[in-house]
Amino acid sequence: MNAERHAFLLVGSPRRGKSTSAALGRYLGDRLAEQGWWTGRAFLYGLIGNAERERDLLGTLREVDLVVLAAPLYVDSLPAVVTRFLELWARDIADCTDPPRSSLTAILNCGFPEAEHNHVALAICRRFAHETGLGWCRGLALGGGEAFGGRELDQVGGMARHARRALELAAAALAAGEHIPDAAVELMARPIVPRRIYQWIGNRSWRVKARRAGTLAELRARPYEANS
Amino acid sequence: MEQHSAVVLDGSEAGDVGAAQVRRVLEDELRNQGWRVDVYAPRELEIAPCVGCFNCWVKTPGRCENEDDSQAIAAAMISSELTVFLTPVTFGGYSSLLKRALDRVICLVSPFFTRIHGEVHHQRRYPSSPYLLGVGVADEVDSSAAGIFSTLLERNAINLHAPGHAAAVVRRATAADAMRVALQHLLTASGVPS
Repeated sequence: MNAERHAFLLVGSPRRGKSTSAALGRYLGDRLAEQGWWTGRAFLYGLIGNAERERDLLGTLREVDLVVLAAPLYVDSLPAVVTRFLELWARDIADCTDPPRSSLTAILNCGFPEAEHNHVALAICRRFAHETGLGWCRGLALGGGEAFGGRELDQVGGMARHARRALELAAAALAAGEHIPDAAVELMARPIVPRRIYQWIGNRSWRVKARRAGTLAELRARPYEANS
Repeated sequence: MEQHSAVVLDGSEAGDVGAAQVRRVLEDELRNQGWRVDVYAPRELEIAPCVGCFNCWVKTPGRCENEDDSQAIAAAMISSELTVFLTPVTFGGYSSLLKRALDRVICLVSPFFTRIHGEVHHQRRYPSSPYLLGVGVADEVDSSAAGIFSTLLERNAINLHAPGHAAAVVRRATAADAMRVALQHLLTASGVPS
């Protein structure tokens, strides 16, 4: 029985509950809850920098079995706020006399269509687990996460079918105390739409947004060019 | 004669004696080679975390609307011929201080996509970009962490359209002379014209 198992979701997106990161983490958390796990969550943006809330969160993490970090990719790695949290968490673990009991997994997503862009950030998460003594259950990488627009995966339709299946496989493995299987990693990494189409839609969406903002003619501006 | 311009982003915390030593040697070596060096230490600056609004691509193209110290860094980076990321190696990556600054310079590239080596990346905004150097500082050099660090710098170089790059991790306790030699090799490896 898993009645005593606790999982905690850390969302590392500034969009907090409305982010694709949160939606991916929630879907995994819901699958774990179906298997009898208690699940909690926190949004790192707004929490990091508040000493009391940092302390509360670190105290909570000492008691859970599994931590799920769900975050977007920023400049090829984890956002600064997430990195700051990992620095604090590592210090807290080092200060604790007992070895950590938790395991860590990560679900990362980026705005590029290829999931591979997330691999360095996943390696950083794996390295964090190694340095702190946490268990590492492997992670999942999603490309084109922007296309989900922060919607619940059930509301995204066929575009999220591979992500949903990947998270279901991951939840089953994690609940059984196993690492995330290759099949889940491969499914999550499958392109949401063909790369050429994603690129075309992406480029068009920037023009649409700029037209609405009245900046279409300035989209390629170089404000920091010498003499500009 | 006009000097080459180098920007050093020092992502170390106050009191990191080893990182301060690396920075001194680095600055000294660059100046000896004829570079003008500007140093930015995020710990001493006001830089808010990126909020992922993309307004720097759409609403105020090329510039973050939150005009804190990050925008001086963005302007300095794109005007430089060499930008150095100096940072304690943090789980193989950059410190949160350095990352806070880097998250805020995506305004230096265009929102539009292009393909580089078959992979989708953002188009360049400016006709030229600086060479990138990654100097990681650690108590001991671990090959796994150093590998992550090198790959991260390489990915940054692709996304920031750097014409050349190189990365290395140096021990905090490395003697100044040995450190200077390592930094000379790193500069050479980056391909940056001296």
